Amino acid sequence: MSQGSMILKIISLPISIILICLGIMTILGGHITPGGGFQGGAMIASGIILSILVYGIGNSPLEFSHFYVEVLESIGALGFVILGLIGLFVGGFYLYNVGTDVLNIIPATIQNVLHYPDVTNAGIIPYLNIFVGLKVFAGLSSIVIAFAGFKKLVEEGE
Amino acid sequence: MLSLGPIIFGVILGLIIGSQIKLDALGVKFTLASFVVILIAGIIVAWQLGPYPFYNDLPISTAFLSALIGIFVGKLLFARSK
Repeated sequence: MSQGSMILKIISLPISIILICLGIMTILGGHITPGGGFQGGAMIASGIILSILVYGIGNSPLEFSHFYVEVLESIGALGFVILGLIGLFVGGFYLYNVGTDVLNIIPATIQNVLHYPDVTNAGIIPYLNIFVGLKVFAGLSSIVIAFAGFKKLVEEGE
Repeated sequence: MLSLGPIIFGVILGLIIGSQIKLDALGVKFTLASFVVILIAGIIVAWQLGPYPFYNDLPISTAFLSALIGIFVGKLLFARSK
């Protein structure tokens, strides 16, 4: 399925890496700036899609196995559900923003690791963004990997 | 004040993705010098992005740079050939 010329092959891996870094940055700034988990995850997936389109499904440098994508997506979904359930049991509502120290046992330095200089407190939002980003990136990547694999199968069958 | 959150999580997410980079079936040879060039380009991008995501931080985007370092460290430490 590889369709890329030599110039495309040379330039697309660096662009993919830069795109992935921009996506991670968007995920981590999602609670105070435009963007967030979904947008960042889609940007990461776009880097992987670019790589798959240029190099082909069997030769792509950024290609994840079925098991790896499954684990990443499960971690994202489970993390989201667990954070929501913590809000349900502690605050009374699903996904209630309970903050970062529910049981009063976490030191202040670890609590403030994703705080920003503002009067409001993001609480669990940055962590939700990270889990959503993992899930979206794994989901979109797996869709494209599957489509590329189906196309390769069809081409081999003809 | 330097915020540690974007650095820590950027490196973790970079490690997750960088550990899956495989360069042996590309048809193009990426040497160590290529990755040094990518790192320099990434530092320039991070510098142009400014102190994102936290606005009173270093004058470069710590999340972007830590993600880039995480990808390279993951590729060096955990990546295997096809």
